[in-house]
Amino acid sequence: MTVLARNNVQVRGFGERTMVFAHGFGCDQHMWRLVAPAFEDEFRTVVYDHVGAGASDLTAYDADRYRTLDAYADDLIEVVGALDLRQAVFVGHSVSGMIGVIAANKAPDLFERLVLVGPSPRYIDEGDYIGGFDEAQIAELLEFLGDNHLGWSAAMAPAIMGNGERPELGEELTDSFCRTDPKIARQFAEVTFTSDNRADLPNLKAPTLILQCQDDIIAPLAVGDYLYEHIENSTLVVMEATGHCPNLSHPAEVISEIRAFV
Amino acid sequence: MSEATADDDFEDLFETAPCGYLSVSPGGRIIRGNRTLAAWLGVKPQYLAGSPLTDLLPIPGRIYFETHLKPALGLHGFVNEVALDLLTPEGARLPVIANLLARNDDAGAHQFTRIAVFLATERRRYERNLLQARDAAQAEGRQLREDSKETRTALTRELEGADLRDQFIAVLGHDLRNPLAALTGGLALLRKEQPTARALAVNAMMQDTVGRMSGLIDNILDFARGRLGGGIPLALDNAVLVGPILEQVAEELRTARPDRLIALDLEMPDPVRCDVLRIGQLVSNLLGNALTHGAPDSTVKLMGRTNGDRLEIAVSNSGDQIPESAMARLFQPFFRGEVRQSMQGLGLGLHIASEIAKAHAGEMGVASDSDETRFTFRMPIRD
Repeated sequence: MTVLARNNVQVRGFGERTMVFAHGFGCDQHMWRLVAPAFEDEFRTVVYDHVGAGASDLTAYDADRYRTLDAYADDLIEVVGALDLRQAVFVGHSVSGMIGVIAANKAPDLFERLVLVGPSPRYIDEGDYIGGFDEAQIAELLEFLGDNHLGWSAAMAPAIMGNGERPELGEELTDSFCRTDPKIARQFAEVTFTSDNRADLPNLKAPTLILQCQDDIIAPLAVGDYLYEHIENSTLVVMEATGHCPNLSHPAEVISEIRAFV
Repeated sequence: MSEATADDDFEDLFETAPCGYLSVSPGGRIIRGNRTLAAWLGVKPQYLAGSPLTDLLPIPGRIYFETHLKPALGLHGFVNEVALDLLTPEGARLPVIANLLARNDDAGAHQFTRIAVFLATERRRYERNLLQARDAAQAEGRQLREDSKETRTALTRELEGADLRDQFIAVLGHDLRNPLAALTGGLALLRKEQPTARALAVNAMMQDTVGRMSGLIDNILDFARGRLGGGIPLALDNAVLVGPILEQVAEELRTARPDRLIALDLEMPDPVRCDVLRIGQLVSNLLGNALTHGAPDSTVKLMGRTNGDRLEIAVSNSGDQIPESAMARLFQPFFRGEVRQSMQGLGLGLHIASEIAKAHAGEMGVASDSDETRFTFRMPIRD
């Protein structure tokens, strides 16, 4: 299985430059469906699924390997390498922001610049650092995901039967959208919400845009400030958008901020 | 039915339906909640309107809502059967199952999210039990797999060790034969050198000893052959009289143990299909066993019968009763009774006897009480 098939890599658009979109915890590359097409006139756009998510090759998921974000960063480097790209623009949502930072530090030629949407280097409070959660809450989240083991497949299965309001979506797409093996989802949650990538921030040299939302429970404003302080060449934009998924809820604002930055 | 009544009825259905209803704005604020849900949460219905939906969710639910439910609603327009906890103002948790539906206006813009909420206290308990049972089953399965892996490894190691031991025994037994043959030759040579009467007597004793050693080595080799998969090899004779060989074996043992009495009682007129040398070895082993373990002053009895279709040979002696605990293991290799450690032998004699019996489609039996111990060999005269 090639890297491109393993990560269900989709390339569209035209242009000298390339924009690579990485999805966060909880969904797959379809998170970018309202944003990525806007850049297809000027950029080659690349979307992909992390191993274990969406239509990636689930057999490539190895619980031992994917125990840290490093493995996801290595995959990203492989995807970019397989496409023979250099100096791409990286756009990462949520936990993929840090995956992009790790990859950029490992392979400094990889990205010309980075856009981090709702990023957080650490979700758990520690000393003066405010991540937004305490350890007990994260432990409860992992248990909660266990509760939805049973409900999860049932929650998504009916979507295959009818998608009346969105006939433009093919059945295949509907089928794969945000479907995750419950065990993989749980481990990805654990890896994500217990990660600490604060030490990686000062090493990042590429120009970086931090896009923050109002009322983002997962990445509160204090986290954006922290990132802005610790990434040397960074710009912080707090958008009008609320919640954690502006790429779905406020795509126009996200598009215009990215366009202004690149 | 008038219009007003119908409206009332729908209003009543919304407010008092046996499930909770919530209508939420695109910004995530509750527009309206029904009385049923308010009652479950222990609040006034007005309390719900205007608050952010996420106020009703504990942290995990909020994260789940942001990372899973919103994206799913955005794409499909609905999500069904999600397990959630709702928070009461006192901080208590209300386990529910929720269905969510996005309502869009004609232009496709998101207008409301409708949420139906069902109490799921019992169901949650049941599901958790299921999960626990599954986790326990998986853990047990893992443990079993590990255990069986360990057992397999240990067994393989044992088998390899046993294989080596058996090969060693086979080689050793084989190599011991040559020096014994040299001793026999030497003794024969010495007997021709006009020995003194005393030297002759010593020579005879030495020859007996060599004979006994030779028998032990034969047993070892037969045992090793059996263990290595060859079984006891037979050179079958179609019709042979067994009586004479029994007399010969008894005579050999009398020579070896002149202090002991062996009484014969043979009525064996029918020819038998067997390897007669092996039958001799079997009887020799049984007699040797009786002489070793029986009371020193007792007579060992050898009884042989053929009765048309069966051959039966029994060797009996008086002496101590064989303990019940030892009976089952008598025919196992290297088994030696615990009573007389000083006695010679490898503990192969009875094992070989039973192997020879099996090779002849026959069987060994044993009976022991305080009067007598009797080993009996039975086999069919023909196949």
